Order: sequence, then C-alpha cells, then structure tokens
Amino acid sequence: MKNTFTALALAAILVGCDTPATYKDADGRQLVVSLDKVDIQDFATAGSTMLQSMVTSPAFNRAGANPVLQVGQITNDTGTNFDTSMLLVKITSPLVNAGRVRLLESDPVATAARNNTPGASVPVADFVLKGKILEDRAKSGSTKQSSFVFQLTLVEVKTSLAVWQQEKIVTKQGTMNSIGF
Amino acid sequence: MKTKLSLLALVFALSSCTTIIETGNKIEKTLSPPDAVNYVTTKPDGGFTPQINDQRFGDKIQMLAVRKSKLASGCMQVQFDLRNGSYLGQTVNVSFEWLGADGSITERQGNWMTTPLEPGALTTITAVALKPESTECRLRVLASR
Repeated sequence: MKNTFTALALAAILVGCDTPATYKDADGRQLVVSLDKVDIQDFATAGSTMLQSMVTSPAFNRAGANPVLQVGQITNDTGTNFDTSMLLVKITSPLVNAGRVRLLESDPVATAARNNTPGASVPVADFVLKGKILEDRAKSGSTKQSSFVFQLTLVEVKTSLAVWQQEKIVTKQGTMNSIGF
Repeated sequence: MKTKLSLLALVFALSSCTTIIETGNKIEKTLSPPDAVNYVTTKPDGGFTPQINDQRFGDKIQMLAVRKSKLASGCMQVQFDLRNGSYLGQTVNVSFEWLGADGSITERQGNWMTTPLEPGALTTITAVALKPESTECRLRVLASR
C-alpha cells in the first residue's frame, strides 16, 4: 500500500513537471536557447546585424537605387546541419521587399521559361554575397561555451573587390539549454 | 528560526553554483517587478520621446543621446546611445520599428538583439531604414530576466 502511494506520488510529480507544447512568437523572448546548435533567434540576430551594416556601407550606397544582387556560396562549417538560407533570407528579403536590390534568381523553371521567351535578357549582377558560418566550442568544468561565427562578404562584380565584410559572433554559455533571455 | 534557515538555504542555493556578482544579479532580478517593454521614439524636431514601462530597468539604463541623419540612399539612420548607470551588469535587448510621417509602421525588425553592458558601459544602437518613407524610429528596449 505504502509503495503504491509512493509510486503514485512520484508519477504525479513527474507528470506535474511536464510542459505541454505551446506556440511562441518566433521574435519573442521565450525561445529555447541551445548550447550545441544555432537557434532560430541566432540567425535573426546575425542577419539583422549584418543587414544594418551592409546598407550603411559606402559601396552599397554608391551603387545606385536598386543594384542587382546575386547570392554566392554560403558555407556551413559548423558541426550541425542546417540550410544557410535561414541566414540569407533575413538579409535578402527586407532588401528585396523594400526595393533596395533586385535579386538574381537561378531557378530552373524560371530559366527554362526565359529561354522560351524571345528578347528576354538577364541583368548582370552588380554584387555577389558570399559567406561562411563557423563554430568554436570551449568548456570549463561543467560550463560549456559555443560561439557561432557568421562571416559575409559583398563582392563588387566589375572589380572582383570585396567592398564590404562583416563578422558577427553569437556566443552562448551555460551548463544546459534554457528558455528565453 | 525557520525563516533564517530558509534564507540561509536560499543564499546557499544561489551562491553554491555561481559567483558573488551573479548571485547579486539573481537576487536583484528576483526582487524586480515583471519586465515590460520600454520605448524611445524619435521626433521630427530631432528630439525623442521615452516611454518607460519598467521603471526599475528605466532607472538603470540611461538614454544619453539620439542622432538622426539621412544616408546617401535617401534613407534615415538613427543612433541611440545607451548607458548602464547601475552598479551591476545589465543585459539590454533591443529591437525597432520604423514609422512613416503619418505614424504608420513602415518597417519592422522584430527580433531582439542582445547586448550585455558592464556597469557604466555605453553602447550605440544603430537603426537604418530601408525605405525612404520611413522617417521616425521607435526603439524597443527590454531587460533580461
């Protein structure tokens, strides 16, 4: 009887600790902060910081009203697998939607349609955006630290010169994953 | 006696895993009221309007200056100078929205950008508009829990 009560109490405690899944604002403050991977809010932070830096660069401002931008190679050199468009879209979508750049797309369907359209032509890119995502891990006792390094370069096509470069490091430290900031 | 024991247990629990400064931070944050978002909105005359909803945080973080300028692209750039005026490290989270001349929201950067600030440290938050119709900037400032 005593054992049954103990088991029931333990079960109640365990069940009571569970948190049912709920929807959260992707831009909110109650997101999971992981030590071992790049979180969605890390992409947002890095993307918005780099976007702000790029649009204030002299080369970008000299390029006229809406230069043609092409996305080059973005390498993921971290230990976790993710699509680099998680970062890129944070930069390109505000620029495209505000009419600040014309983004060159290499979609095969669009290319095939263009090939069948007489007189259609593709503009030459003014800039190519390329980059790399790296990671660095350190540990002291039970405290783990992960740094994710986002590096982007804007290359001017006509000169092949890097006209803007930015590095944003997101560092997280702790003993376990947590929620929010 | 019971209260003393509870306090001792609390202090022990807080200090056993962390440094004294972190313990101080934790105690202060526990005593703080629930966090609310604070706003600073630029005005056409070059000034700014603060809206402090979290008074404890508002007392610690000072808005020193706001600079507004127009870039070569015709878009606005605003820089906010923030200072941690408290004796403890604070973490400031900021995001911003751009407003048109009629007060409507024209652009939004919704995600929170985190900036740890040492006591007395100063940081400059730069917001750049992407659309020429964005004229005023509303900075959202939130303390970490």
